[in-house]
Amino acid sequence: MLVAIETTAIYTLLLGSLYLLVSLGFSLICGVLRIFHLGYAYIFIAAIYFTWMFMDLFGWGLVPSIAAMLVIQAGIAIAIYKGLIVRYMKQEEIIITGLLLVAIILEQAAMRFYPIQTGVYLETTVMAGISKIGQVTVSNQLIFAAILGIVVTGLFALFFLKTKLGLAVRAISYDLYASRVMGIRVEQLYMFIMVLVLIPVILAMLAIAPVWAVDPGVGWGYMMTAILVSVLGGLGNIKGTIIASYIIGLCHSTVAFVIAEPRFMGLSALIVVLIMLIFRPQGIAKSETVW
Amino acid sequence: MDLEVKRDRLVFRAMGGKWEWGIEPRYWRNPLIYISLLILAPVVVYFVYPALLATVIDANLLAAIAIPLSLMTLGTGRMNFGPQFYIGIGGYTAALLSIHFGLSPGMTLIAAALAGLVFGFAMSPLSIISGGLYYTLLTLLFPLVFLEITFIYTDLFKGDTGLAGISSLVSVGFFSLNQLVYAFISLAMMLIYLFIIDKILRSRYAVQMAAINDDEEVANGIGVNVNKTKIISFVIPAMMISIIGWFYAHYYGTFAGVTFLPLAFMLKILMVIMIGGRIQIYGCIVGGYFIAFLELLLIRTTGAMSPVLFPIILLILLLTLREGLFGLYRKRHYREYLPTLHVRR
Repeated sequence: MLVAIETTAIYTLLLGSLYLLVSLGFSLICGVLRIFHLGYAYIFIAAIYFTWMFMDLFGWGLVPSIAAMLVIQAGIAIAIYKGLIVRYMKQEEIIITGLLLVAIILEQAAMRFYPIQTGVYLETTVMAGISKIGQVTVSNQLIFAAILGIVVTGLFALFFLKTKLGLAVRAISYDLYASRVMGIRVEQLYMFIMVLVLIPVILAMLAIAPVWAVDPGVGWGYMMTAILVSVLGGLGNIKGTIIASYIIGLCHSTVAFVIAEPRFMGLSALIVVLIMLIFRPQGIAKSETVW
Repeated sequence: MDLEVKRDRLVFRAMGGKWEWGIEPRYWRNPLIYISLLILAPVVVYFVYPALLATVIDANLLAAIAIPLSLMTLGTGRMNFGPQFYIGIGGYTAALLSIHFGLSPGMTLIAAALAGLVFGFAMSPLSIISGGLYYTLLTLLFPLVFLEITFIYTDLFKGDTGLAGISSLVSVGFFSLNQLVYAFISLAMMLIYLFIIDKILRSRYAVQMAAINDDEEVANGIGVNVNKTKIISFVIPAMMISIIGWFYAHYYGTFAGVTFLPLAFMLKILMVIMIGGRIQIYGCIVGGYFIAFLELLLIRTTGAMSPVLFPIILLILLLTLREGLFGLYRKRHYREYLPTLHVRR
């Protein structure tokens, strides 16, 4: 029993930190742009498959391939913003459906050119091997991913709290109209956010690619986690996202290691979110504010 | 008896009655014409190219799912992104009862409808407790969790392969004749749904729904029982969609959650609504036939590239057809009842 509790505690930290990376972008888009980014799953798919495409098709090394993938991801984000979000700002059903279609296009393209059986492997291991924490054995790469999650979230929080640009983003999230009146260039800032939110997701995917399975449908599972975390935390609130990430992490690890039924991880998290919604319909933290 | 040709219409008088007929096709508003065409279509297809009957059935069923979903969207004032959850409920109920208890399709129909009613009722408070976007997010997750459950309890749901050996709804000997009967049953279901929901949308309840759709607080203020209307608008369509699940199970003889519960199937239904006519119930029929035949055309012409090209074409159509395909037919812009997802203040 003690081992199970120890394992649960460690994996709550590891998974919670990882979920931070996965859901930070989703939460920010909801909070700042007020857009339900149903195409969020495409970022996960594109991070892996564009990198792999450059390595496989052009024979480039890992670093140039990642750089090229970043350029493409930024290009897609800007194209989505200018072609879809700006044009249909007042018709969210079109934005949502359009974003979903973008994700499906990329997923199907990945499936067409790199089906599951071909196998995709990115050698992005930073910390090889395993470590023993107490009686629990953990992959070093997973520890690295967790540390990365904490560091990136910290940097994001610092950015929003301590920089002028972050202050402008917070201002937009509080009141769009007043922000415009105060001279904030809202459109440019929106575009900046669209690109900024790519960072945690891409880092998460590159960090976990060597240890967890990757396939063209991988984005949907992570998006589901991001949705649960964001709803639980309060859409768009970083503080809420941090708390919710660890709650979902705790829920997942409890089900997996204490109850020993990992099959129920998804279901249990949904039940937790539903219960929370009954008591706090706006999530843990006050939503519609970044911090 | 008298036939008068006017500038824009034909006027026919007989036995004290008078019938008018607009000359220009765009004024042909009589639904009977289109219903006759829909009834005639399977017969023509049966004699010309019977292989297309499966696509006709598919189109009818897509429209039959989209029509009640439109009512649900209108009545709850929220977009449900998980209608396929109820297809799963109806389909699995019918399949399990048919296989394990040998119940006839008539009995499984009652059970599937009841299951849809019960689950719909259990889920309906969501439309009250969760706001626009939260509701959308949660409804999106339900079918995915259900799919997960079908993989967890493989003994019961048979996971990927699904449940096989469900009794057929009809069996008249020949495959293509069977298909023709299925095409008519699916068409009848769609038309019944269309008739029921058309009646609801022309009644005073539709005005209440529209009021909820515009502003819940104002609707409450003018005396609309918002919660009651929302629950009814949630439960009835849920039951109707479950019945489509029942049909799928008895039509295919097998039922697997992996076919109906993933996002790809939801997207098809969503596109039927959006490209058909943005929540317009007649547009759902146009959308259903368009999506089903477009998919078939792409599979036939582009083969393995069709899963990539299909969403690309849908995206282009979504962005270019402001009021969907049905909007091309309508002369004037109609009132938008598609709920706004209240994300922005």
